Amino acid sequence: MILAMPAPPAPPVLDAAAAYPQVAAARGALAAGDWPALRTLVEDQDAHGRTTLVSEIGGAPHAEAFLPKAFAEQPDDPVAAAMLGAHLIIAGWRIRTGSRAQDVSREQFVQFFDHLRRAEQILIEATARHPQDAAAWTQRVTSARGLELGQSEARRRYDRLAAGHPHHLPAQSSLLQQLCPKWSGSWEKAYAFAWECADAAPAGAPNAVLIVEAHLEQAFDHDSLAAGRAFLRTPQVRSAIHDAAQRSVWHREFRHDWGWVEVRSTFALAFCLMHEWTSAAQQFAALGDLGAESMFGYFGDPAEEFQRFRKKAYAKGGRP
Amino acid sequence: MIQHLETDGVPTLLAPTGGPMRAGLTFRVGTADETLARHGITHLLEHLVLAPLGSADYHFNGATGPTFTTFHMQGSAPDIATFITSVCANLTDLPTGRLEVEKDILRTEWSSRGSAAIDDIPLWRHGARDHGLSSYPEWGLARLTAEDLRQWAARWFTRENAVLWIAGDRVPEGLRLELPTGTRQPVPTASSALPTTPAYFVHGSRAVILDAVVRRRTAAGIFAEVLERELFRALRQDAGLSYTISSGYEPRGDGQAHLRALADALAEKQDAVLGGFIDVLAKLRVGRIEQSDLDAAVAKRIDVYSTAEADAARLPAYALNLLTGEPNHTIDEHLALLKAVTLADLHEVAHETYASALLMVPEGTRADWAGFTAAPTSSQSSVSGTTYHARDDNSRLLVGTEGVSLVRPNSILTVTYADCAAMLAWPDGARQLIGHDALVLHIEPTLFDLRPAATNVIDSGVPADRQIMLPPRSPEEIPQSGAVRQAHEHLNRPKRPGWETLLITISGLAALVVGGFTLLLTIGLLIEPTAEEDVAVLWGAVVVGWLLTVILALPVVLLTRGRRR
Repeated sequence: MILAMPAPPAPPVLDAAAAYPQVAAARGALAAGDWPALRTLVEDQDAHGRTTLVSEIGGAPHAEAFLPKAFAEQPDDPVAAAMLGAHLIIAGWRIRTGSRAQDVSREQFVQFFDHLRRAEQILIEATARHPQDAAAWTQRVTSARGLELGQSEARRRYDRLAAGHPHHLPAQSSLLQQLCPKWSGSWEKAYAFAWECADAAPAGAPNAVLIVEAHLEQAFDHDSLAAGRAFLRTPQVRSAIHDAAQRSVWHREFRHDWGWVEVRSTFALAFCLMHEWTSAAQQFAALGDLGAESMFGYFGDPAEEFQRFRKKAYAKGGRP
Repeated sequence: MIQHLETDGVPTLLAPTGGPMRAGLTFRVGTADETLARHGITHLLEHLVLAPLGSADYHFNGATGPTFTTFHMQGSAPDIATFITSVCANLTDLPTGRLEVEKDILRTEWSSRGSAAIDDIPLWRHGARDHGLSSYPEWGLARLTAEDLRQWAARWFTRENAVLWIAGDRVPEGLRLELPTGTRQPVPTASSALPTTPAYFVHGSRAVILDAVVRRRTAAGIFAEVLERELFRALRQDAGLSYTISSGYEPRGDGQAHLRALADALAEKQDAVLGGFIDVLAKLRVGRIEQSDLDAAVAKRIDVYSTAEADAARLPAYALNLLTGEPNHTIDEHLALLKAVTLADLHEVAHETYASALLMVPEGTRADWAGFTAAPTSSQSSVSGTTYHARDDNSRLLVGTEGVSLVRPNSILTVTYADCAAMLAWPDGARQLIGHDALVLHIEPTLFDLRPAATNVIDSGVPADRQIMLPPRSPEEIPQSGAVRQAHEHLNRPKRPGWETLLITISGLAALVVGGFTLLLTIGLLIEPTAEEDVAVLWGAVVVGWLLTVILALPVVLLTRGRRR
């Protein structure tokens, strides 16, 4: 008798357009230069969706040619402002690169700050006109970090956003970065914020992933990968990540709404590093062919690393 | 109703009051009419005029502001008549007997007054001249002579340049205004030290302050109040970042007004106070102004105009308008103007405020990210001249016939003699040149390889009447270069006590003997073949020997290191 071998899983697709059809549609509208279609598409989403589309379009190939014109034609429009702001921040960060500050050249920093200042001035006006606009505020939490405006200013911006959108995960993730030691924060502040958001969020909400993000940040801050892995396998960390999973990806109320691919990918990575292969495999299986870069880029090419971890998880944890 | 009368050719304003009689004699002169090298002359004159009247038990005082000087008093009609008449008599025939005493009093007044964060604003906006002078100490006092003061009085304290105002039922009998004849003096043109606005500068105090120059009008005064309400809500009520929030609106006398707002900050919240402040300005600039704020601000002002004392209370401001030729209104006209203010008017003021803004931001923060340009802290070019090198770092001083430049790796500071507002000079040779743009170039002979010739060039370059001699400094106040400092420290180093020297010698010798022996033993063991059974014993001795050496050497190391700290 010949045992039927399961077909090998297809290579993962990390593109947000695969996970969220609205992203594909928005990119199409951008490529076609169809502002009304793009505008309607964004308008139809919830706050998380709008923030995601604004970031995705801000980083898209046709953004540089299209967004300045769209903004010039409707300077009062919150979507045009947020998208152009996002574009300038993303473009600035591409120049800066994600390297540690000491590895970034002076000229790179000059251009980085210049981009961020331009973004900031557009976004100041946008949030002044539309104080409820989560997408613009989320960009301002990120620009505050890049411009090194300080911990309390970044927090103030988040608080302004949270007054209208108390569980806005994209902004929470951005502020969490600011609260990490690499951006002049501390682990205490980072964890306090992650738990604060997780506690406040409704059951089954994705926000508890912040607890995982904070632990992964601290793991990667260790001198060696082995030390980072050992940190993630300590009983306290294990318990915290299980708690976070119970509140989100393991909760029956967890929905495949905006952000679900990023959340499951992050959990999958954490479980791999914790050698909890079964739990990791479950997350990969729930993702199907999808995936998100999450923090896989820390190990190399995100897509290759995602596939490598997934293969290992399936091999050791079984493919559900 | 404010009545317009005339007393001895001086416009006189009269308004009824339910309280005691008050009167003031206001002149169109103030610190903005001075120069830095003569700064303090108006204030000193005001003191000299009042000094002889000081023995009486009167409620009187004088006040010197940027553009006005007022002598005022509260009391009975005869007392007021005597006071105002005496002030005029003293202005005409200045009692200068107390000149030096009053100079000392003014110096004490300056040094004992608390410095407020807002004091530096005029200097950053206007420089070391006209409207910027109120930021500076009264450095002119030392040089001022009785003759200088007499000339100052004759020029500014004249019949044509004065207004008398009285809260009461009449001009007191016997009140005479025997003043010299002169001309009405216009408000000096305000200079600017800011090449572009909105601008910002960094200040060590824990507060964010906005200074703006807007066209004087009712809506601008209302806007200041609306701004304060917005700041209060955003920074105190909602976010708990600030405790003190305040705002002010002050006509400058030339059709413009200064609009100011302040928010203090906790040390760890300064960046958020700045961010929140900028967001409030943006909110108003895009026109999101609350009707309820406008209504509340207007109601507050209407209340002020509705009291029986309203006319008496606004006499000083009314007098200033008269002196500057700006329009005065009746209370009914004011009420009508207040009620006519719209949100669109406020929106317009918000734009003007932003366009002319000078923002003071706390240490460690900046405001370029929000579109504010850093106010200049260095010069564009340097003068040509002889180079003198700093003893400690690689900065250079260029002393030329046109001026002086301090050239540092990343900045140039230049003060030309023609543009030097004043130079402070100390007997030890130190010089401080203050440019009209408020840039300060400080020269310490101890820090630069400076020859006396260089100081002579500077001293002959700066016009003599702009040089201010200061008293000698104590040695601690004179900065020293690194090399000199180290030499001093070496000399001041306490001597080593005898027992320490003895201990170091003994332990050093012992360590040398034991160490030497152990070294020989180690070498011997390494090169000479030795019987197996002896090896273990001898190596043991080597280990013990080295340990002993280290222990014996320890006092030497500890004592010498401890001294060096």
